[in-house]
Amino acid sequence: MAHFEIKDLNFSYPTAKGKKSLDGVSLSIERGEYVVLCGKSGSGKTTLLRQLKSVLAPHGKKTGEILFNGVPLEKVSQRDQSAKIGYVMQNPDDQIVTDKVWHELAFGLESLGCDQKTMRARVAEMACYFGIQDWFHRDVANLSGGQKQLLNLASIMAMQPEVLILDEPTSQLDPIAASDFLNTVRKINIELGTTVIITEHRLEDIFPYADRAIVMDGGKVIANDTPRNIGRLLYEQQNDMFAAMPTPVRVFYGANGAGDCPLTVREGRNWLSREFTAEPVHKAMPVQTLPDEIENPALSLKELWFRYEKDSPDVLRGVSAEVPAGSLYAIVGGNGAGKSTTLKAICGICRPYRGKVKIFGKPVEKYKSAELFGGCLAMLPQDPKSLFVKKTVREDLAEMTKDEKRIAEVAETCQITSLLDSHPYDLSGGEQQRAALAKVLLTQPKLLLLDEPTKGIDSFFKEKLAGILCKLKESGITIVMVSHDVEFCAKYADMVSMFFDGQMLTTDTPRRFFGNNSFYTTAANRMSRHVFSMAVTAEDVVALYRQNKEG
Amino acid sequence: MRNDAFSKCHPAVNFLFFVGAIGMSVVIQHPAYLTAGIVTGAVYYLLLNGRKGWKTILGLLPMFIFLTAINPLFNTLGVTPLFHLFGRPYTLEALLYGAAIASMFVIMMLWFGCYNKVLTSDKFTSLFGSIIPAISLVLVMVLRMVPNFIRKTQQITGARKSIGKGAAENASTKEKLNDGMTVLGALTSWALEGSVVTGDSMRARGYGCAKRSSFMIYRMTVTDWALLFIMMALLASTVTAACFGQVTAVFVPAIDLAPTSWGLATYTCYLLIPTALHIKEAIQWHISKSKI
Repeated sequence: MAHFEIKDLNFSYPTAKGKKSLDGVSLSIERGEYVVLCGKSGSGKTTLLRQLKSVLAPHGKKTGEILFNGVPLEKVSQRDQSAKIGYVMQNPDDQIVTDKVWHELAFGLESLGCDQKTMRARVAEMACYFGIQDWFHRDVANLSGGQKQLLNLASIMAMQPEVLILDEPTSQLDPIAASDFLNTVRKINIELGTTVIITEHRLEDIFPYADRAIVMDGGKVIANDTPRNIGRLLYEQQNDMFAAMPTPVRVFYGANGAGDCPLTVREGRNWLSREFTAEPVHKAMPVQTLPDEIENPALSLKELWFRYEKDSPDVLRGVSAEVPAGSLYAIVGGNGAGKSTTLKAICGICRPYRGKVKIFGKPVEKYKSAELFGGCLAMLPQDPKSLFVKKTVREDLAEMTKDEKRIAEVAETCQITSLLDSHPYDLSGGEQQRAALAKVLLTQPKLLLLDEPTKGIDSFFKEKLAGILCKLKESGITIVMVSHDVEFCAKYADMVSMFFDGQMLTTDTPRRFFGNNSFYTTAANRMSRHVFSMAVTAEDVVALYRQNKEG
Repeated sequence: MRNDAFSKCHPAVNFLFFVGAIGMSVVIQHPAYLTAGIVTGAVYYLLLNGRKGWKTILGLLPMFIFLTAINPLFNTLGVTPLFHLFGRPYTLEALLYGAAIASMFVIMMLWFGCYNKVLTSDKFTSLFGSIIPAISLVLVMVLRMVPNFIRKTQQITGARKSIGKGAAENASTKEKLNDGMTVLGALTSWALEGSVVTGDSMRARGYGCAKRSSFMIYRMTVTDWALLFIMMALLASTVTAACFGQVTAVFVPAIDLAPTSWGLATYTCYLLIPTALHIKEAIQWHISKSKI
């Protein structure tokens, strides 16, 4: 008997005027399976997942049937559903109810009315299994995003669910915290046999381990097979979702490889080794070097020192950088290293106690506020929601300028024209990001600062964003971007800097930067470095592969 | 936080102690009892706060003097006038009465200061969680909401500043007010959005589908019970003493103090409980360390 059996499920939201959000979905999920559900934003993934738990199912018109352990879901009591079907959502913060870690762990058990003895045992168990002992007594507010999401998972696991449903659980986390989290999910699946149904953008960490991948588009299931076969299917269909596949898959099909498709970096390496038994003729991608001196930099930072409080440690410890005008400059580095603080220091939200910030050759403190932010400098914050203050996107944009023609232009550039009359909070993550970008662009900046622009965005939207950034660059805007997303930086940046220990340690062009790193680099580079050099994106590897094979 | 033995006791013990200490300090005016209250309160406050505690205690001194000196201005009763002010007698009895009231105030401040250190919000909510789970949950959620709101406000104003929005330093009051309203509006929709997710997360974990129980992270140990018993005994005997009129103190018009008795001893012992526990543990630790 299947664990979850979905039979011809149709669903439409009351406001959608008959447009189906789920269209004839039939699926069967076996006990203990690890299923990854992928698709573009708005393809109906979340709507489908929410149908699997009655209290979360949205209102609307629904036909079809969902069986849980062979029983129609409506007939399964609220209590059983709470305990047996665990559901982790996207936002780590808002999911947490109480103020202490130990209390949050016990929340579900309290709701079910468990007795002290059971609660004590379960909470202790979970704290040990998830490695929470060290921060068991802490305030929730003092946890990192990764810890919060782990706590959400642990607090659901304390109820010992049979099925774990995760809706983009790592979209708000940095890559290291994200892969930690996904490893824990995988461990739960393997060690406890819990059925896992997960949606994710970051397929590199999941795809190789999933038993099955289901691809959705426009509310329909368009593919349902093993991950290896899904890669081939999407490639043959020329589907947009192919861009979200792990790097080895993209390289393999991009190069028209034969045989079994590699899913992990290891498999990819082995495949390349088999393909190139002798030293390849074309070994390296051409690299550009940095000019020795940058003339008229758009932004120059000299020895910035900053700390938040008098007695706290320094966050910036001598940050120096020069950004050439009209380039896309990326700053990468670990969490809490001070990357975002650097951006804040540039736009004067934080005042460094030593050092100089020069914007277009003029010290930042010489600018008047209106002059600086009106047509010179603007920053897109990490959370785009913090920029929305009105009821529709149009009103929000109108807050910046009265000129409707300009609004229309910018909306066109950012591809949000069709979204202008929606409430900003109704947009998906990628759409919010672009709406916020539109608002920022209305200040007509010459220097644009972006804080984690790719956070929580799927690969399809990432390409759109990259397209917009390229267009802006062409129009002469200088862009400084802080990011964890090495793949994105490798592909689109002109210069990459490594931020570590409060300083910019190295700066180079992406190929030389990532090509010479062996850990902190892209999957494409890790996969190909034993055969090629300086190949940092899937496209680079494919290009070298073809050059060599075609002579 | 400093290592304090009394803080490690069960929250019920902590709570009842402070109810007793603060409750009695507001009714007893007898100078001997007041002295005992000030000394024990100050000592425990210093144990909890270390050197920083001196600052608060010295800060209370001007308050004490002010409250003492001001009473005779309003209260002219008393048989020993010291001098005349604005044609009204300024009497010794009223001055002493003022000192007594000021002492009560100081004692209360000291014990409340200790209370804040010992009975943190999570202890308080877990204590009342078992009695009224629903209310304590609301309390916990409110406690979490306030710092969240402050953080989000900072985030929104920061984000607006970096695109040149938000009131400048030299903006008019009206502009500032307008900007404040905009931020408040944004904050509200953000909070509502968040609360929908929180609500989902609560229901997803079975909120409301059974009678809630409450996870008690603190357990009553034998020591806790013993302590509770001793506290009750000391408190009862002090109250008995009070009922027999042994703590009565009359200041105006003439000073008339009841003779001190065993009530003072039990009262002092009661107030010394936290200090005694603290010192006992410190000594034990010292001994066990020297044995190593």
